Amino acid sequence: MSFLEFDNLSAFYGKAQALRDISFSVEQGEIVAIIGANGAGKSTLLDSIMGLTKTTGDIRLEGKSLAGLSTADIVKSGVGYAPERFNLFPFMSVRDNLMVGAFTARDDIEQNLEAIHRLFPRLEERENQETSTQSGGERQMVSLGRALMTSPRVLLVDEPTIGLAPKLCDEIAEVLARMNRELKMTIVITEQNANFAMKLASRLYVLESGEMRISGTVDELRDDPRLMEAYFGH
Amino acid sequence: MNIRWYHLALWTAFIVGMFFLPQLVSKGTLRTIIFANYLAIFAISWDVLSGRTGYVSFGHPFLIGLGAYTTAILTKRFDVPVEISIPAAVLVTMVGGSLLFLPALRVRGSYFALVTLAFMELMYQLVQVIRPDLTGGTRGMSGIQTLTRGAVNGYYLSFGLIASLGFGMWLLMKTRLGTALSAIGMNEEAVRGSGLNTTKLKLAAFMLSAFVAGLGGAFYVHYLGSIAPRALFDINFVFTIIVAAILGGASTIIGPIFGAFFLTFLLEYLRPYLPGAERYFIYGGIALVLYMFEPKGLHHVLQMALSAIKGKSRS
Repeated sequence: MSFLEFDNLSAFYGKAQALRDISFSVEQGEIVAIIGANGAGKSTLLDSIMGLTKTTGDIRLEGKSLAGLSTADIVKSGVGYAPERFNLFPFMSVRDNLMVGAFTARDDIEQNLEAIHRLFPRLEERENQETSTQSGGERQMVSLGRALMTSPRVLLVDEPTIGLAPKLCDEIAEVLARMNRELKMTIVITEQNANFAMKLASRLYVLESGEMRISGTVDELRDDPRLMEAYFGH
Repeated sequence: MNIRWYHLALWTAFIVGMFFLPQLVSKGTLRTIIFANYLAIFAISWDVLSGRTGYVSFGHPFLIGLGAYTTAILTKRFDVPVEISIPAAVLVTMVGGSLLFLPALRVRGSYFALVTLAFMELMYQLVQVIRPDLTGGTRGMSGIQTLTRGAVNGYYLSFGLIASLGFGMWLLMKTRLGTALSAIGMNEEAVRGSGLNTTKLKLAAFMLSAFVAGLGGAFYVHYLGSIAPRALFDINFVFTIIVAAILGGASTIIGPIFGAFFLTFLLEYLRPYLPGAERYFIYGGIALVLYMFEPKGLHHVLQMALSAIKGKSRS
């Protein structure tokens, strides 16, 4: 039994099918990257884990099915979600943004805040700043921090590098790697940037038009011509 | 914002000042203040729902009317004492609030606003058609029991109401509930993604809003002693409430209160110069300009002015 398992997962928007029979698994403590172009279904896949889309098939966390649970219950059972950086609460302070993530938590708030401030000292310095006035990199940190406030066992991160300068991408990669190392966090990221994904993840899955086309470890796929062609060509 | 000693001192001075106010101003001014107090209650009720969660209600008179009509009918037609009729009115309004909540499960944005407008219109038609012997039909009701005699007592009652409601709401909105409700207004999907049950949160906002509207409506009708459906279920009344909340500063407590006073006195002072409906152009214009340049409202303008003064005095 794997830590996080997907079993013939399909997702629908009305009648349109966005994901087709996806099966894969994530082991505890690893970083997995889902890569694919715009519209391949990456965000839909993460939304499906969170119960935000209509799905068939099954998703299991440590053998326990998440299918049919409400998003609130899925978060409670240990899945944290950092959507794209635009999904913050713009006219709230950094601290209030984090506290929204802590809404369901009762005991771990101080402990989680400390862990987040260790990872992102900048968020502590600027805890009263409105996130609408922050840079893209800082917003990404707030988004990751808010997801950590829910005390997750697996963290889903949607396109952490979208719209970020290369230097900031490195910073975000560093932080994700530290979360993985220091907090023993299992992480699933989606990416268009295959280089970034390869630096960070141990395994890659490639989504194309809602189907899982290629999968393997980073070492296996590093020189794969199909991947080269599709994601390094431009 | 941390609470400092001078905040407490200012508030104490304010409350003492309000206590002695009837000695200083005319009865006419007191009556204007009383109206402002009730408008402030309605604006707070609107703001906890619409200002925070972004579910804009154009039908708030539906809730206010439920509270007002319930207690008016109970006391006048069935001789129920106000100690029972007012809590009953609040309960009925909260049931009405849950009716208003149902469309919010499916629609948001302008569609939700339109549905609430329909609720108000429906209520207006219903009170005229169904049992006019109870509701008074088109002409409404008069001779409803009043709780106080004279402007001074009416002022104290309305001030006590807005002070306790305002303080209670302020405390409640300081908690995580307040933060979460504001977060829904900014990005409902992200709130769901953070594992919060947005349905329950929205229901809480509707219930709170209905509670305040019902209480305000019930006390207001026992102050006026009469009820006029044409004036109550009126789009002008809706806009006055919304403009008060937005003008003062939505998503705060002091903002709607401030906005209600500003609007009421503005309309009152404009009366000698512009006796007709032209006055509404003026406040519409002010609301438009303010909303374009400072969407956080007058309360925020004052705050910035205050911190600018403080900043200067320090350097």
